[in-house]
Amino acid sequence: MPDLTPLYSLVPKALPFECLEARFMQRALVGLLLLAPMSAAMGVQVVNFRMAFFADAISHSAFAGVALGLLLSLDPHWTMPAFALLVGLTIMAAQRRSALSSDTVIGVFFSAVVAFGIAVVSRDRNVARDMQRFLYGDILTVSDRDILCLALLFLVLMVFESWSYNRLLYIGLNPILAEAHQVRVGPYQYLYAGLLSLVVIFSVWAVGVLLVTALLILPAATARNLARSAGSMFWWALLTSVVSALCGLLLSAQDWAGTATGASIILVAFVGFALSAGVAVLRGQRAA
Amino acid sequence: MACACPKHARSSVASSPVAVAFEEVTVVLGGVHVLDGVTASVPAGGSTAIVGPNGAGKTTLLLALLGQVRHRGHIRVSGTADGRRPRIGYVPQRLAFDRGLPMTVSEFMVMGWQRLPLWFGQRREAAVRARELLAEVQAEALCGRRLGALSGGELQRVLLALALGQTPDLLVMDEPAAGVDFHGELVFCEILERQRRQRGFTQLMVSHDLATVTHHATHVICLNRRVAAEGPPREVLTTENLTAVFGLHMGLVDRRAMPDGKTQCSSSCCTGKPDA
Repeated sequence: MPDLTPLYSLVPKALPFECLEARFMQRALVGLLLLAPMSAAMGVQVVNFRMAFFADAISHSAFAGVALGLLLSLDPHWTMPAFALLVGLTIMAAQRRSALSSDTVIGVFFSAVVAFGIAVVSRDRNVARDMQRFLYGDILTVSDRDILCLALLFLVLMVFESWSYNRLLYIGLNPILAEAHQVRVGPYQYLYAGLLSLVVIFSVWAVGVLLVTALLILPAATARNLARSAGSMFWWALLTSVVSALCGLLLSAQDWAGTATGASIILVAFVGFALSAGVAVLRGQRAA
Repeated sequence: MACACPKHARSSVASSPVAVAFEEVTVVLGGVHVLDGVTASVPAGGSTAIVGPNGAGKTTLLLALLGQVRHRGHIRVSGTADGRRPRIGYVPQRLAFDRGLPMTVSEFMVMGWQRLPLWFGQRREAAVRARELLAEVQAEALCGRRLGALSGGELQRVLLALALGQTPDLLVMDEPAAGVDFHGELVFCEILERQRRQRGFTQLMVSHDLATVTHHATHVICLNRRVAAEGPPREVLTTENLTAVFGLHMGLVDRRAMPDGKTQCSSSCCTGKPDA
């Protein structure tokens, strides 16, 4: 495994805060700087595709992913993303084929994966206690291996977004129109669902199952309030997400705060959203 | 209802090659036969209208053509003269989309052609092409407007520009002027007629508006789950056929008022007589 020390040593030079001198904080910051742009980019499409419930279902599959690891005696770090990927692609396949509404299909899988996870985890009280870290997330325990996995996912995802952003906008706007105009809707939807599943499950480590959807939605919603075009929406989401992640991490490390990092990030993102909503109202008033 | 279109439609050309052939097309949704053995043809280069009452399966037939609905039977779309697959342009009835999306009309036009992500801006040549297409449908001024802020008529013109951007061999439209006011419909119909003549594409349109059909169609398919009648408007839009398909029809089409090869409605805009 490559030595990431030179990378971590850049953190206190770039951001000379006392709390960033600890290695676990440097690691957390690097992890968040990889995760925040990914969640922003995917979040823009989550809002366009109205896939918030889908993201919620994937995040809740974290329990089942861990449970599967326990059952098969495998490292949950591998079973969680693998299971999330499986669930994401299965939901997408079912949505495309079923006559049931999208929400109903996701609801069915959501309940099934949660029930499976709880059933297995509840058999062992020690494991059930350990599940708390998935509920609330813990970016401060991220390892070098996690950072490398995130970096790899970051590369893949940014290549995909660069190649597909316009097509995904087309599909999000109206899939029938997109398909009639020679956009291959199916492959894009499956690729997007698979990558979103992976981003969601990595985000669970950072902010926890309960807040992962907020990490996707809040920057995108803020971007919608501020952006005047589909192109600038991406940059606003990116900026909001990265600033929220940085501020949230720094705030949570202050003695007077002492809050969970994930929750702090989401609270900062919400403040950003509230401000952007104010800007949107003012713009609307001017237009009127 | 007033007619909104100019009176320069041409008659159906029976000997024209066929652009689309529907052969025994059947669609069953939830146990209901939405389409039941539909056999009809769309002459190449013409303007074909599918008319019928609500629930007749008009939109379903278009969706089957676009591959969006599973069906039995065959839908054959003829290749072009140079042997390639025909390109399709599609104008939906009412684009169901999120009006809160901050997307400009120009971005909407460009996103289908440009691979470079829009967050890096629009390529100059793509933006110029978008502006030219919008100018063709008298919508150049809308280029920088937000898509969600367009009126129904403006949106339909932008959708037509988007479909024309496909350089279609077959233009498929699902009630393109539905919900558009009188003036908007007039403008839309004029643009459509001009574009079809200039570009020579085959046009297939679903319409509720018999006045529009009588003015613009060169070929009509009367549909009510099955094909009730098919052919040139003056032969198909008879009182007998319309009564059979629609029940009590509105009397918009006066067959005796149709000169050879031309169609004409009995509305005041065409007859020159004021409304009673």
